[in-house]
Amino acid sequence: MTTQEIDLSTAADRTATAEKPRRSTFGRVRYYDHAVLLFGVFLMMAPLFVAFMTSTYQPEVIHRHGMQVGWGGNFQETYWTVLTKKGGFSEEVTGLLMTQNSLILGLGFAIGKIVVSMLAAYAIVYFRFPLATFCFWVIFSTLLLPLEVRILPSYEVVQSLGMLNTYTGLILPLIASATGTFFFRQFFKSVPDELVEAARIDGAGPVQFFWDILVPLSRTMMAAIFIIMFVVGWNQYLWPTLMTTEETLYTLVRGIRQVMQTYIGSNIPDYNEALAMAVLAMLPPALVIIIFQRMFIKGLVEQEK
Amino acid sequence: MKKSVFTNPTLPYLLLFPQMAIIAVFFLWPAAEAIWSSFFILDPFFGNATFVGFENYTDAVTRSDYQRTAIFTFWFTFFVAFLSLAIGLMLAVSADRVLRGKSAYKTLLMWVYAIAPPVAGLIGIMLFDQHIGPLVKFAAFFGWELQVGVSYFDTAFAMTTVATWKQIPYNFIFFLSGLQSIPSSVKEAAAIDCRSEMRRFWTITFPLLAPTSFFLLILNITYAFFETFGVIDLMVKGEPGNNPVTLVYKVFQDGFRGLDVGGSAAQSVILMICVLALTVVQFRLIERRVHYG
Amino acid sequence: MFRKTLLAAAGAAFVAGSASAQTEITWWHAMGGALGEAVNEIAKRFNESQSDYVITPVYKGNYEETLTATIAAFRAGEQPNIVQVFEAGAATLMGADGAVVPVEDLLKANDVPFDINDYISGVRYFYADDSGKMVGMPFNSSTPILYYNVEALEQAGVTPPKTWEEFAEVTAPALKEAGYVPAAQSHLPWIFTENFFSRHNLQFATENNGYGEGTPEILINNDAIKAHFTAVKDWVDAGLFGYYGAGWSDNQAPFENQEVAMWMGSSASFGGLKQSADFDFSATYLPYWEAVTSEPTNTFIGGAALWALTGHESDEEKATAEFFNFLSSPEMQFFWHQETGYVPITTAAYDLAKSEGWYEETPQAEIGIQQLSLPGGDWTKGYRLGFYVQIRDVMNREYGRIMAGEATVDEAFEVIERESNQLLERFAKTSG
Repeated sequence: MTTQEIDLSTAADRTATAEKPRRSTFGRVRYYDHAVLLFGVFLMMAPLFVAFMTSTYQPEVIHRHGMQVGWGGNFQETYWTVLTKKGGFSEEVTGLLMTQNSLILGLGFAIGKIVVSMLAAYAIVYFRFPLATFCFWVIFSTLLLPLEVRILPSYEVVQSLGMLNTYTGLILPLIASATGTFFFRQFFKSVPDELVEAARIDGAGPVQFFWDILVPLSRTMMAAIFIIMFVVGWNQYLWPTLMTTEETLYTLVRGIRQVMQTYIGSNIPDYNEALAMAVLAMLPPALVIIIFQRMFIKGLVEQEK
Repeated sequence: MKKSVFTNPTLPYLLLFPQMAIIAVFFLWPAAEAIWSSFFILDPFFGNATFVGFENYTDAVTRSDYQRTAIFTFWFTFFVAFLSLAIGLMLAVSADRVLRGKSAYKTLLMWVYAIAPPVAGLIGIMLFDQHIGPLVKFAAFFGWELQVGVSYFDTAFAMTTVATWKQIPYNFIFFLSGLQSIPSSVKEAAAIDCRSEMRRFWTITFPLLAPTSFFLLILNITYAFFETFGVIDLMVKGEPGNNPVTLVYKVFQDGFRGLDVGGSAAQSVILMICVLALTVVQFRLIERRVHYG
Repeated sequence: MFRKTLLAAAGAAFVAGSASAQTEITWWHAMGGALGEAVNEIAKRFNESQSDYVITPVYKGNYEETLTATIAAFRAGEQPNIVQVFEAGAATLMGADGAVVPVEDLLKANDVPFDINDYISGVRYFYADDSGKMVGMPFNSSTPILYYNVEALEQAGVTPPKTWEEFAEVTAPALKEAGYVPAAQSHLPWIFTENFFSRHNLQFATENNGYGEGTPEILINNDAIKAHFTAVKDWVDAGLFGYYGAGWSDNQAPFENQEVAMWMGSSASFGGLKQSADFDFSATYLPYWEAVTSEPTNTFIGGAALWALTGHESDEEKATAEFFNFLSSPEMQFFWHQETGYVPITTAAYDLAKSEGWYEETPQAEIGIQQLSLPGGDWTKGYRLGFYVQIRDVMNREYGRIMAGEATVDEAFEVIERESNQLLERFAKTSG
């Protein structure tokens, strides 16, 4: 392990990073680290690369020869078909419509969750009222049961409210879990008490305090949680699968299941279209977290506290 | 509790109303209904109910496939959590140490976080396809004849691999920011005291990461339990057959595919109890952390 | 967004308003892809054939999803007029008293001529009640048949096997010698279980195969089928049979890739195979065991039926009846048969296909209907079992265990018998 050359070769780096003297002493391990990281990147990205490349081939080719790493040259055609091919008797269902539905679900879920949980967290942290403890425990109890364990009854409730195949029925039950409320509760608790005092002295009421001080203060937090929730909402699968039986409400992720039905069936499955849809379904959330990386990481890690 | 609080007779209730209303309608009501219907066998069309006491529970837990599903869920959860934590940590440690290309690595390693579980499942099932899957051909190169969909073990292996792959970025992000929040003075002191990279990690860095790890463990268990549904659903291709499935998939399978409302509800309630136990652990942990904080 | 929805709703209302003279009905179906296009074509032709009724077909996902969506809609009072429900869900639908208008009653009440003997024998009583009244209208009906790679068999110097004995002694070893996996199949519960029972005229369940009033018990733990599975497992171990899991296409793909020489699938797979197999293939009847019977009988159908749901106005019921009439016309049946490979359900349609020369062009397309028209027996009418989706899941699981060597044939069949009867008992309680 202790080869002289490696030490020597990293000497240049050592001077370049003189401000971190301790670390560079162990500069030679960086080769190992780069190897680990490159392998990690390969592990994480290769399947996506293969999926994308394969989606540019004709389905018959994929059927006979499996997944591909080359360029199939069918890119435009496949993606254009997925985005615009009209399905169903009504001929309304296209990939674009599914993208729109995914957006509505992602945005509706994120915004709804932020609004509802901020209000609730504000009430819990800043007000003294008789039912406070009770409300807190009720909200807490939602953390106990994820939607997955109560899907069937949730479905029945939504059905008896006549909300099947509506955006409301799609989004509201997902918001019921109060993770956001806890997040904001924690954040509000870290806001210095002096601010409330100062606001009071200035004669600001609770609504004003919330709107003029708390909301601007929470802006970064809101953005961070928005990014996370958008990704979570966009990626929902089980609930939309049950809830939406109208094709016009399908999200992209839900649509993949539909394409898979032909995978099970007896004709040649449209592998290329399924994979193209998978690529389309992963792009927006991936772009969001890459572009807002810093905020996203902050939000994600803050949840822990 | 805050020292300074507002008092207002109606405002807090107004603020809480949306949250409480949604919880009441979409959480408490369904939860109550699940418990209620777990004691009945129901006709799906008209909702006619025959009271059967605990029969749904005894039927569920005594069925050999339920036991098999429970055992699979346990091991699946164990391996997914363990492997994705270990790999996530390994990558994070390296990413924390390198100086060049750090943000490029970070970006590329994060990417998969954005992928929905069923998308991961779709890519996985094609990579592991018996006839055209490159990973099957790769395994055959080493003399392992992978038969995903035929052999219970091989299918379990494929599912675990895909579910782990999907979860690595999550753990990576947490560990990396955990490592970066360790003060550099601590790191430097450690470097002087302890020349061995390995020992330094296990004696100093790892204990500092322990709270993060424990918290992550809970999150990973929750992930493997619930969020892997999409992976499983795509990978069994609509025919569970002799393939392993998780308990959540079983609730879905019996309730929606098989229309056994009561039986499915009983399984839901059993899951609720499991989650309850898990949450007690989690809550204690949170309390402790808050206390330290 | 909401404004857009409103506009769309207003637009829909306008269209509906302008066409108020017509009676509108909806038809939920589970036919995706090319099959869905054929469904749309049928609906289009019906709408064009007359001006009183308009039918709208809506794709609701796979069979299970369609049934679940129907139940949800039924409980919300928004059920469609017609729904397509598959054979395994038939008992659920018929077990719910008053959810379905029997097609025979519906047609007679609306003065549509109906004679059950117009339907081919293998189809006639499958969706009928105990008294022989047709309840569901057979729609996409197929039956398992044996496809074979012509060149592979020639190369091995064999003909397609008539019996399993022939397969074991002659066909399979020769094909293996020629470098092929001799055979595979795509659906063990359907092809090697239900149709094993009907092909050999064996009783599948008590209570008249489940059609009777009482709670049926499954008679699957039977020496004949156990011997069959013992043989299949031996073949798999000896490389004489391919098992690629419970997935349909996993088992079909190696036949298409010419690794497997013979494949048992659905008569409706014909259309897909023509598209995906670039070699000469043909089809024949499902083999039988000479040791079990010397007079093999007809097979069951698989697929789905159309069911008229209750709770609709009489003019809508009239429209439904008219649509059924249109659908069972020889021309439409021939169209459907030609497009999809599903069998024509009436003798008139079968005759039309013959007179149009369809089978001279594609003799393989006739195998399914010929096999369905073989002489029947006491136990070849069909079966009706509740929670049958789960029962098939149990079978698939246990068969998988046999094939993977995790359970012996005896153990697996004992489990299937026990758990199926448990499910049947549970199902009996759903109807109170």
